[in-house]
Amino acid sequence: MLLNPFKFHSPADLNEAVRLHNSLNNARILAGGTFVINTLKSLKNMGVKTPENIISLKKIREIKGISRSKEELSIRSMVTITELFESPEITENFPVLKTACRHIATNPIRNMATVGGNLTCRYTWTELGAILVALDAQMHFAGSDGREEIISLEEFFKNQARSSKILKSVSIKYEKNTRTSYQRVRKSSEVDVPLLAVCIKTNFIKKRFADTRVVINNGLEFARRDLKLETFLDSVEPGNQTAASALDHLDTSIYDTKEDDYKKAMFRVSIKNAVNEILQGSKK
Amino acid sequence: MILNINKKQYTVDIQGHETLAEVLRDTCGLTGTKMSCNEAECGACTVIINKKAVLSCITLAADVEGEEITTIEGLSDGDNLHPVQQAFLDHGAVQCGFCSPGMILASKALLDQNPKPDQNDIAYALDGNICRCGGYLKIFDAVRAAAEEKSSVKDKKV
Repeated sequence: MLLNPFKFHSPADLNEAVRLHNSLNNARILAGGTFVINTLKSLKNMGVKTPENIISLKKIREIKGISRSKEELSIRSMVTITELFESPEITENFPVLKTACRHIATNPIRNMATVGGNLTCRYTWTELGAILVALDAQMHFAGSDGREEIISLEEFFKNQARSSKILKSVSIKYEKNTRTSYQRVRKSSEVDVPLLAVCIKTNFIKKRFADTRVVINNGLEFARRDLKLETFLDSVEPGNQTAASALDHLDTSIYDTKEDDYKKAMFRVSIKNAVNEILQGSKK
Repeated sequence: MILNINKKQYTVDIQGHETLAEVLRDTCGLTGTKMSCNEAECGACTVIINKKAVLSCITLAADVEGEEITTIEGLSDGDNLHPVQQAFLDHGAVQCGFCSPGMILASKALLDQNPKPDQNDIAYALDGNICRCGGYLKIFDAVRAAAEEKSSVKDKKV
C-alpha cells in the first residue's frame, strides 16, 4: 500500500464537512489530492505518523464553479486549475491568472489540483499566491458557527497560511484600467516549479501608475508585497528609465533568498521586465 | 462500493486509503495502468476520469465512486484498436512500452477535446507524461496521425 490506513469521509455538503472537521481528531482536508496524497506518501516513507481521518471535499457542489456579480468574481475553492485556465471570465477579465495557470505543473495535475488546495497547502512556491495577492483577493472561509469569515490573501500569507477553517471561495474585485504583468523563472525538473515569481498590478490612469501592488514570491516564503517599490512606481512620471530606476527602490530585505544569491539578479531582471510590460500596455 | 470503469460496474470491497492505481491493478485486475514514480511526476498511471486525464497514483479510489473512469483496457472495441492505439503502433511510438498506456490516454483526452491540435497543443497535453526511452518525436507523430485519422473518419461520416 502506498498510504497508511485512515478513515475516509466524503461529506455531501459544506455544513457536514465543517462538522466533521471540527469533531474528528487528527483530520486532514482533501481537495484535488495533488499535495495531500503525495505528502501522506512521503510521511509514510519517513515513518512519520499520518492523519487518522481524511475529509474529501470532492462531492460538495457549493464549492465548485466560478460566478460573477457586478463588483466581483467568485472562484470557489474546488475549481481546478484547468477550469480556471479555460474560463472565459478569467480570459476576459484576469488574463494574468490564465497565464499563471498555463505554467502550473503538468496537464494531469492541472486537471486535479484546485485553487483552494494551491492556496492552503502551505507550500511556499505555488503559483497562484503572488498573482492573487496582487489582485487583492479575499478568502472566504466557512466558520464553525455557519458564518462566513473573510480575510485577505495577503493577511492569510502573513499568518503563514495557517487556518483551521475550510476555504469556500476566493473573490476578486473588478477594476478598470488595470494592467498586470507576471514574470516567473522556472526550475528544470519533471514538474514545472517556479524558482521565483513577480507580479505587478496597477491601475494605469492618465499614463501613470496608481494603486500599484508589487508582489514577489522567492520560493522560500509566502508571497509578499514590496511596499517600497509600490510607493516609487506610484510617485514617478513613467518614462524610458522607469524600469531601470525601479531597481534602485527595492525593499532589498524581501529579496534575500538566503543561499540563493543568483536569484537576486533574476529578480531584478523579472522586475524590469514586468515594469516594461506594464508600460507597453500588456494585460497579460 | 461500485466503481464505473470502462463502462462496466465493478463492485469492490476497498479501504479508504487505497489509491485508484492500486485498486485498478490489484482488485480489478486492470494492469494496463502502470505504477512507476508513485509521486505524480511520470504520468504512467494516467487514466481518464470525466473526460480529463488524471493521475491514479494520487487519486483515492473511494473518492471517484460514481465517476466515469477509463483505463487503457477500455479503449479498443474488441480486436479493433482505438485510432490513437493504432497510430502508436503504425508510427512505432513504443519502445519499452511502459509509458504507452498513460501517453495514449492523455492523447485520447486531448483529441476528444481538441480534434485538430497543433504541435504546442500536443506538447502541452502530454507534458505530464515522461517517456524514459525519449521517444517523443514518434509519439507526437502518432498523435498527429490519430487526429488526422479521426478527422477523416468524421468527414466520411458527414
